[in-house]
Amino acid sequence: MERPLSPFMFPMWYRFQITSTLSILHRFTGIALAVGSILLGWWLIAVAAGGDAFAVTHAFIVSPLGLLMLFGWSVAFFYHLLSGIRHLFWDAGYGFEIRSAYRSGYAVLAGTVVLTALVWLYLYLA
Amino acid sequence: MAKGPSSSNLTALRDESVLRRVRHLGSARSGLQEWRLQRWTALALIPLGLYFVASMLRLATSDQITATAWLASPAPALLVILFVIAGLAHALVGLRSVFADYVHTRSTLLATDLIVRAVTIVLGGASVLAVLKLFLGR
Repeated sequence: MERPLSPFMFPMWYRFQITSTLSILHRFTGIALAVGSILLGWWLIAVAAGGDAFAVTHAFIVSPLGLLMLFGWSVAFFYHLLSGIRHLFWDAGYGFEIRSAYRSGYAVLAGTVVLTALVWLYLYLA
Repeated sequence: MAKGPSSSNLTALRDESVLRRVRHLGSARSGLQEWRLQRWTALALIPLGLYFVASMLRLATSDQITATAWLASPAPALLVILFVIAGLAHALVGLRSVFADYVHTRSTLLATDLIVRAVTIVLGGASVLAVLKLFLGR
């Protein structure tokens, strides 16, 4: 069974619009957060274990790569949160009109930038 | 579609009636439970997630004494455990739907499913155990 699968459509036949782009971003951020939960579990276990396990974990988190991952995690978190709320409104039957779908889409993007900026500004100042 | 609460009559949010309608027409086995679980955990994760992100981003870079003290206090311990359980349940439904969309061999899909479930359960169990250890260790 050799059917063409949907990703095959992307480079040539499919023009991205904000609605479809945000839809696939919801999935990507969801997957990223699921993978990130492994790191969360690792951190919790390291705190409980203490000693070397915590020292190694701590050194990784405060390293440039660790901080970048933490930043990426926060972006993915806020995007998935806001986009998820948008989905819940759709589940309840609101916001299906093209105009409101576009408007809520841009609102999700703007909200992600604002919330991420606010939380890191707070962390930087605190 | 018209705006207003009446449009919710047309959607799957009224899931019982939808189930009753599709039961003899097509697949209506366990999908509804998953759909519902994903939405309930999504709702729970709005407050839990905001609480978690507010505490966690500050704590992630903190020393062990601060992190231990935080996880040993009742409210954070409870909320972190709830966040882990709701988050992993939500992630499991989401990941399964991704695999169902892109894995087209039945045996591979089954294997993927088992691996994802196993990793989720082990990760959730270990995380909860870690928080309980810190909480009870006080």
